[in-house]
This record gives sequence, structure tokens and C-alpha cells, in this order.
Amino acid sequence: MSALAALRNLALALTLGACAGSAFANSYEAHLPPELSTSPRMCDYVACADVMPGADSFSERKGQPPYVEAYRSTDGGKQLLGYVMLSTDITDIPAYSGKPVVTLIGMDTTGHFTGVKVLKHSEPILLLGIPEEALVEFNNQYLGKFVGDNIEIGRSRPEHDIIGLDAITGATVTVIAQNQVMMLSGGEVAKQVGILKPTIRPQATFIDSGARPGWQQLVEDGSVQRLTVTAEEVGLPHRGQPYIDLWFGYLNQPTVGRAVLGDGPYNSLMSRLQPGDHAIFIVRSAGIESFKGSGFVRGGIYDRVQVRQERDAFTFRDTDYFNLYGIAAAGAPAFSESAIFIVRSGAFSAAYPWKLVFLANKMDKATGAKTFANFDSEYWLPGAYMEGGRPEIVKPDPVWLKIWKERLVTIIAFTAFLVAIAVVYSRRDTLVRRSTRKNKWPVNAFKYVGWVISIGFVGFGLLAQPSITQVLTWFHALLFQWQWELFLSDPFIFIFWWFIIITVFLWGRGLFCGWACPFGSLSELLYKLGGWVGLKRYQFKLPKPLHDKLKWVKYGVFFGLLAVSMFSMGLAEKLAEVEPFKTTFLVGLFNRSWPYTLFASALLGLSIFTERPFCKYLCPLGAGLAMPSTFRWFGLKRKQECDSCKACAVGCGSQAIDKDGRIDQRECLLCMDCMVYYYEDHACPPLSQERKRRTKAGLPLTPIGADGYYIPIKPVATAK
Amino acid sequence: MVDPKMPTEPMDPPYAGKTGLVGRLGAELWDHLWPWSRTGFQRQRAIQAAGLALGLAASVVWVLAAMGRLDAGAIIGWWFGWSVFEVVVRLGAKPYVKEGPWWGAAYRSATLMDMICYVSFKNLLIGAVLFLSLKSLGLVSV
Ligand code: SF4
Ligand code: SF4
Repeated sequence: MSALAALRNLALALTLGACAGSAFANSYEAHLPPELSTSPRMCDYVACADVMPGADSFSERKGQPPYVEAYRSTDGGKQLLGYVMLSTDITDIPAYSGKPVVTLIGMDTTGHFTGVKVLKHSEPILLLGIPEEALVEFNNQYLGKFVGDNIEIGRSRPEHDIIGLDAITGATVTVIAQNQVMMLSGGEVAKQVGILKPTIRPQATFIDSGARPGWQQLVEDGSVQRLTVTAEEVGLPHRGQPYIDLWFGYLNQPTVGRAVLGDGPYNSLMSRLQPGDHAIFIVRSAGIESFKGSGFVRGGIYDRVQVRQERDAFTFRDTDYFNLYGIAAAGAPAFSESAIFIVRSGAFSAAYPWKLVFLANKMDKATGAKTFANFDSEYWLPGAYMEGGRPEIVKPDPVWLKIWKERLVTIIAFTAFLVAIAVVYSRRDTLVRRSTRKNKWPVNAFKYVGWVISIGFVGFGLLAQPSITQVLTWFHALLFQWQWELFLSDPFIFIFWWFIIITVFLWGRGLFCGWACPFGSLSELLYKLGGWVGLKRYQFKLPKPLHDKLKWVKYGVFFGLLAVSMFSMGLAEKLAEVEPFKTTFLVGLFNRSWPYTLFASALLGLSIFTERPFCKYLCPLGAGLAMPSTFRWFGLKRKQECDSCKACAVGCGSQAIDKDGRIDQRECLLCMDCMVYYYEDHACPPLSQERKRRTKAGLPLTPIGADGYYIPIKPVATAK
Repeated sequence: MVDPKMPTEPMDPPYAGKTGLVGRLGAELWDHLWPWSRTGFQRQRAIQAAGLALGLAASVVWVLAAMGRLDAGAIIGWWFGWSVFEVVVRLGAKPYVKEGPWWGAAYRSATLMDMICYVSFKNLLIGAVLFLSLKSLGLVSV
């Protein structure tokens, strides 16, 4: 291990050395003491005063979810300044990496944020590229803001009472997650300490039908629900039985309550409830874990289960617990643990959906560290048990949907652009027939417009440059945790990848690389511009034999990154800087330290003199897409004479045509030059010869068929 | 005389010309899953390849194991090692790949790169299916 670790560190040091001058990411995968998340004395392990200026002493963790109180010593004693919380005590919302950003948050007694400190994150984009200070700056926007305000990423919209925060360009997903974490963590604590008042919901009026449904029926109509957590979900090995398997339901409703408890116990339970109290039952039918826990860890609170209704959480104390001795409903499963819990709050209403939440610790296999995870299952009393049925509710859109709605027009424009490219390409035969060797505008007009849109709108505007890091991220998401929401929250990259996948199988990587990749387009546009401004005589191609060797380098880069990512995603992300995309589009050529700027500028500079050097020899994404291009469905046309004719091969900017006239579909960028030749009777030698022959013989020039030859002249049999 | 219309020389698999949808699909499925062929079985070469690939797989598995990530890592390591082995076996036994539409029946001889692309793409799909089903069955944890 030590040799391995040394090697890894060496590699890391070398890469970081090579990236000298970049903001060194100091909380990236930082090692945090395990006690930080377990010890009652949280502030012994982290500088809580950093987020609560002026505080000099802190309480132990209290409450559920936990927080600590921050005090300042005064002459007469201590003054409560506010509260400090650790985000991962409260929520496990993951950021882009799939792991949460561990954040320490301070909030004063009036509910205004006093400090935010990122203790640990796993966000690749913040490792290199975007300096970590950007996240610090982002977090600083919370200072002084009130936890009860509607704070969102984006513009402020006073008419809707929404306070906007500036996002970090290129790290939208990270900051959206961070905003949820901030508001949720602050909100939870603010509600516990009375800063935020719970929402008051209208109560349900129940209908007692007098029926006594059996267990099966209760399950079917939804008045009994199930919450199962598997061992794998909490990072434990598979054991043949779940981690915990719970059944639960709402008891105040007389039909349900009487069916579950039986008349006697139901009446007795109801007689013990105060107005506004709600009883729920939970039984455990299987599992290796207890939902009550072995002891009351924090102030007599059951810390493994809670009830949530929208943003309100209800926890249970020992005084909220009653024994549940048996279930009356016929067909109920056997159970080994049971409880009746009382929700004592006017904020809870059985008329609206709520969730039973099971709070667990998840073990991280690699580090052995425990992280907080919660699992829930929704409950909504069936309408038949309430007067007037279920009330209408408007569920807020998930974050990704909000993004799609907000950017709808741009999304449509972007999709239209991609569809247009595909349509134009599918009409290639018509376009190349209209072009000639000397006038390729019918094809090029479309292609050049495509490039300009792709560079300006897609690249610099939307920052939607596909990258190998996305491939690596999916690969890992596939292995660990696939979350559509995460990918959906960047609509442009999401759509772009569908375009890429589809077109690679239809036509190969050429359509994306040759027509739509922002960096590739920029690179080739520079080459064309170079030619137009008179640098043509300095433009060159590598000799074919050398090209044929160097083209393999990109596959090495691709496999190298894939392999490294298996061991360290962080290192792979750093090495993925071989793509100059971040520097060119995401961050900007002049916003990065000089090695990056130099690298990207050198590649772009070289592109003026030789066509797409990066695409041909280095691009790992191009290599990754080239591989499946081997099996594209529809290739380009060739004729038998191509084997000896070199006309196309000489003109092919991608150097994709070999000495036998065969096209290497992994290298071809679908520029269409050879297809123009294919149909042109002044350029393609077999056609040209036939044209001359026919002209000499006074024969008509028939149209050129799809096979690239003149349609043969068939003598029509004359009537005798 | 080479045919520039095909990226490599056309070449037919033994089941070429098989008619009937079921028969053809069956033959193709078998082809994807079984890299060996009776005619092309080259003992010497396969044994050498096996040694090489197993060595490679073992090192990857070993490294992953050393990092305490045996479960998923071991599987990936072995799958990778197997894929290397499969490329070599196929080049000896079934040295062809399909050309053009997947529903078509044109085949051509495979270069090393063609075979690497074929095997890695196919095994990525098979691996993803196997891995996800193992994961959902709870037989592998990450
Ligand atoms: S090779 Fe890379 S940079 Fe070039 S066009 Fe393709 S994806 Fe873009
Ligand atoms: S000339 Fe033909 S083979 Fe070469 S890149 Fe253009 S389309 Fe592809």
C-alpha cells in the first residue's frame, strides 16, 4: 500500500506541480476527523467561531436534527449569539460529484446567516478550472440574509419575493445543491429554535364508514404504507434481509385507526390525545436495525424516525411514545418492534401528504467514514376517509424542471440548432451535387454557420462544451449512484449528449466533431481564416505515415484517463485538463493561470497552420467517440476507382483516406469534400474521362446516379 | 484489387447466408457471446493470450484490492482483463466485424483497432447490464 500510495502522491504532486499557479483546492476531499460528525462536542473538532464571529464558547450538539448554540462571554455570564450547524447532520443532498458538500453554517438568533464555511467537497470543477474562492464568494452572498426568505440561484424577482444569488459560471449544479443545503439546514434549525414559525395547515374532517378493512385492503388503498431500506443502501454487504422494513399509517382516522388497533385500544388512544395531536403507528416486519434505537441519544429524542410535511419536520420525544401491543387488522405481518408516536403540532395535518423518514448512517466503503443518509416513504390518507376528499395541492417543481422552464426559449433554440445540423447533413447528397471543387458554398455555408453558432452561442454563450469528464462522471454514476436529476440540471449538455449518441450511431463522430463541437469548430475556423488571410503557404499537414502513428495518441489519452479515473476521479479530472475546453470556454483564456492559457493558446495558434491538431492527435473525447463510430450505420460513398485515384485523399483535411482510397470512419470529420468530388464530372477522374468520351462521341451527358457514375445510355429498341 | 467501398476486405462469417430471422439472430447472438470458433481455435496463441490477459487482470484487481475497493473494482478489473483476452481470441477465431447498419448482414475483416472497438463497446454494454443487475440483486455493493 505504501508504495502505491507513494506513487499516487507522486503523480498527484507532479500534476499539481505542472499546474503551478492554480488556486490550490484545499477542501477538495479534505480529511475531516470522524468525531466531527459523531461527537457531541462538535466544535472541538472544527473552528465553529469561523462562522459565528465573536463567539467564544459552544454548547454540545442538541436537537434533532442537531445544532450547537454559540455564546459570547459577558461580564455577567454568557450571551447566546446564535447557532452553528453542520450541513451533513441535516441533509444529504449531493452536489455534482454525487457527494455532499460538507458545510459549516452559522446563523444568529434572528435567523440571519453569519458565516458559511466549506469543510470538504468533492466537486471536480472546483478542483481545477474554477478556483475554490468562487465557492467562498458564492457562500458569502448568504451573509446577512434571512433564512426565511425565498433565496434562489438566478435573478432577484421582487415581484415574486425571490432573492437571487449569482451562480458560479460553469458550476451551476454545485451551487444549486449548495443553495438547497443552506436553506434546508438553516430552516430546520430556525424552526427548532422558534425563529421560523411552522406552517399552519387546515385539518381534515374524517369520515367513519363503519367498515373494518383488513390489512391487505389498508395496504391497497394506501392507508398503510411501507418503508424498506436495504443493507446495500447504507453501504453494508448484502445479507439476505433488509436493513429495516417498516409499515406505518395514520391512526386518528377512525376507520383506519379502529381497523389497525381494534375498537378498545383505539378509543383509549384517542382519549389520551390532546386536541391537535396526531397518532401514527410503525411496526418493523423485518430487518437487522431498530427504528427506536437502543437509547435516547440526544435529549430523549428518538433520532431514527421522524415525520416530515413539506419543510416541517416533526420529531418524537420519549413522552410522545405509546406502546403498540398488537394489530387487529386481519392479515397483518408478524412484527418484532412496534410503536405509536404522537405528532404534537398544529402544523401537521392529515389532509396533506407527509413522509415517514428513517435516518441512518451510511458507511463509505473506501474510507470507513459514516455519513448521514435518510430514506423516506410518502403517506397521504386516501380521499375516501376525509370529507371533501384530498385537497388540491400544488407540488413545487423539482429544481431541474425549474431550470428547464426558465431556459425554455434557449433550450428550444439550441435543440433547433442541433436538429438543423442533422437535417442538413441528411440532405448531403443534394448539397454536394450543387457544389463543385471550386465552389463548395452550398455545403460550406451551412457548415460555417454551424461553426459560428457552435462557437459563439453554444461554446461561449451556453458553456455547453461536451467533455471527457462528463463521460467519466457517467461511468462513475453508473457504478455508484445514477441520478437523472443531476444530469438534467444541465439541460444543454444533456441534450447535446443525446445528439452525440444518436448521430454517432447514424453517421459516426464526424457530425459532432466536424460540425458542432465548439472547440473543434473554433480550431478549424482558425485554420480557414489563416488560409483566407494569406497564410496558406505556411499551412501544412503532417506526412501521412507520421500522422498514422500520431493519431493513436488520442486513444492512449482516452484509455489513460479512464484507467486513472478508476483509482482517483480527482486525478483524472486534473489530467483531463489535456482538453483545453475549460480554459477556452468555461473559464476564459485570460482568467486562468499561465500554463493553461499557454497550452490552449498554443493549440489554437497551431490550428492556424495545421488543421485541427488537437482533434487529430490528442482529444480524448474524439477518441472515445471514434471507437463506436466503427459501427456507424451509414458511411460515405466510394467507387471502385478510388483505389488508385488520390484526388480525394490529397484534399482530405482529416487525412482520413488511405492509399487504397478507403475512408477511416474513426478519423473522418464528414467535411464532405470527397463527396463533392464524388459527383463532380470535372474533378472525379472516372467521371471526367467519361464526360470527355461522351462529349467527343457526341453522346448526351445523362445525370449522375447515386453510384457516382453517369446513368448509362440504354439504346431504345426502335420499332421495326 | 481492394474495394474502397468497404473499410477493410469483405469477409463472411460461417453463418452468412443463413435465412430466417430467428436463425440469423440466434447465430449473431451466439457470435457476440462466444468468442471462440472450432476452425480458428489456435491453442498456442490462446494460451499465451490467456496468460497475458490474466496477468493484466490480476494486476488491476490487485491494485484495486489494495485500495480497499475489491467489490466493484474486482469485477471491473476482471472484466477488463477478460476483454483484452477476448480481443486476442477473436482476432484468431472470429476475425470479422459487421459493417453498416446493425440489421444488415455485411461483414468485413477486422483490424486490431476494429476488434478493440467491437469488444470494448460490446463488453461495456454486457458489463453494464450484468453490473446493474448484480447491483439491484444486492450481490455487489459499492
Ligand atoms: S476531436 Fe475533440 S475537440 Fe475535436 S471536434 Fe471532436 S470532440 Fe471536439
Ligand atoms: S474528405 Fe471525405 S473522408 Fe476526408 S474528412 Fe472529409 S468527408 Fe471525411
